[in-house]
Amino acid sequence: MVSLDKIAHLALESKFDSLGPEVSVDPDKLSSLGAGTRHDVCTSTFSPKSHTLPGVCHSFTHDGRCVSLFKTLYTNHCTHQCNYCTNASNCKEHSKIFSYTPEELASITLALYRSNYIEGLFLSSGSGRDEDTIMERVVETARLLRCKYGFEGYIHLKVLPGSSLALIQEAMELADRVSVNLEAASSSRMNEMSATKDYDSDIIQRQKYIRNLMKKVSLPAGQTTQLVVGASGETDEEIFRRVLYEYKEIGVMRTYYSAFSPQKGTAFQSREPQPQWREHRLYQMDWLYRIYRFKPHEIDHAFDENGFLSNADPKLAIARELLDSPVDPNAAPYRELIRVPGIGPKSAHRIMALRKRQLITNKEELASTGVRVKRAGPFLKINGWRDTTLEMWSA
Amino acid sequence: MVGLNIPENFHFYLSAHESCTEKLLAEAKGLTAEDLEISPDPKISRMRKMVYSVRTEIHRMKGFIRLKPIGAHMLYGYLKPRHKIGDYIAERFARRNPGVIVVLGHSSESWISIFLDGKIISHHGGSLDKSLEKIISALNCSGDRDREDREDIAAIWGTYYASQYCPERRNIAAFHRRMPKGALAFAGLKLERNKNGATLDDFFGRE
Repeated sequence: MVSLDKIAHLALESKFDSLGPEVSVDPDKLSSLGAGTRHDVCTSTFSPKSHTLPGVCHSFTHDGRCVSLFKTLYTNHCTHQCNYCTNASNCKEHSKIFSYTPEELASITLALYRSNYIEGLFLSSGSGRDEDTIMERVVETARLLRCKYGFEGYIHLKVLPGSSLALIQEAMELADRVSVNLEAASSSRMNEMSATKDYDSDIIQRQKYIRNLMKKVSLPAGQTTQLVVGASGETDEEIFRRVLYEYKEIGVMRTYYSAFSPQKGTAFQSREPQPQWREHRLYQMDWLYRIYRFKPHEIDHAFDENGFLSNADPKLAIARELLDSPVDPNAAPYRELIRVPGIGPKSAHRIMALRKRQLITNKEELASTGVRVKRAGPFLKINGWRDTTLEMWSA
Repeated sequence: MVGLNIPENFHFYLSAHESCTEKLLAEAKGLTAEDLEISPDPKISRMRKMVYSVRTEIHRMKGFIRLKPIGAHMLYGYLKPRHKIGDYIAERFARRNPGVIVVLGHSSESWISIFLDGKIISHHGGSLDKSLEKIISALNCSGDRDREDREDIAAIWGTYYASQYCPERRNIAAFHRRMPKGALAFAGLKLERNKNGATLDDFFGRE
């Protein structure tokens, strides 16, 4: 074992400085610009640029959501007129305008990262007609972190609507992930939500720039997007069609959903808030497509005649429509197993591995693979038996 | 494809479990990760739970430990883990902060690591305070804590943390499930509170 003196000697010889620049920040600015991103969702928190480590949650707020990144706006000054947003220029209850400098933001990020409060930076901003000026500062912040301070943590940069191709490329060269928020499911819905954003040129075209640049620029955590759910009366089916386009044509890695919640002073302040369960069901639908590899025509069975998901597991709704004969866990292929409610990708793989060694003959064996037996029971048969209680399996 | 939960090097995690014995390790020697992942055998199932327990603690400590700087070359934090993971966690933070001495520990044990030129150099010492004293003396930086006083990172964090709460999404049950008091105590932390809009239920943990 190496002595403490030797370790201290090695540290003194090292060129690194654990402290970085000294941090000083106005608490009102920190709070106000932090709150500007509280509806933004992000999950991937490790930096695939440096290490392939799993994401880490450093804390959770009282809404149960993980806090892993320093998630903030660069500025809350915005000339866009988005009817759902408190930073919009048409919002009647404006909060005080704040802006960071790149050096200031980099120093806060470094200090929080060094003390292990965060895994990295998630940087968005208000903008408007000066989107390239703000985007330049966003990129400069990332450049300071990466090039001046050797920061190896995670960086997610929001590409502002209408940003130039050159700045998007610079952002991609420094970040782990970039994203442009779709906000709406279509151009007509966007027109209702914002008088100043052009859906096709400000948003979709920027996503296409990123998609095309990814052929030559490495972006390890890919491109993502986010939708405000239910702000303009759109159906879940409309959202699903847009999401399909995003996955197939744009190549986004993930779509995030945020249930609309009316904010004081905004043009949409009197609109009905959307229930949290709607967001949850959309995530389940998203997983069925992305992880479970359900076909779109299968997922269509989860929508009602008006194009909405009910507050029930969409996988169960699809199974009721499509699983007309019981599935035998000792014989069914992965594709069939995964379609049974209560069986996920991991338990399906475990079932397939277990049955190579032995026949599955009772519910304890099935439960040991992670299957939620009560849920899966009505859709399974084993040794010729089909019984919702599963008690006869051992017979 | 979705990966399975038991890693190929599961023997490492099993050996770090507080209740692991030589006999148990010998029994696990011939087993594969797939055996642990899928076997319904109660003995193997117990090993699986032990591996999960160690991995869970490692994951939580990576998130919950808070580090403070002393001088320009040292970060230290409180860690009193249930399992034998102190050196593993110290190494993790050393890799994250190259060239900086990372000291983790509690009243009777400490783990010290530094990552230099692609190599980890480690030391297992007595109490955290004693190890810190020895390193401070070797670094000759005993009076270098002024900046720590001026720069209150915990206060910066507290302000930022409060800004992230959405009252309309209030979910106290999820908060308490994901911030288990036991795991926080291993990292020397107390449960964080959202002061904005907090009610008595928030403090008593009722939904």
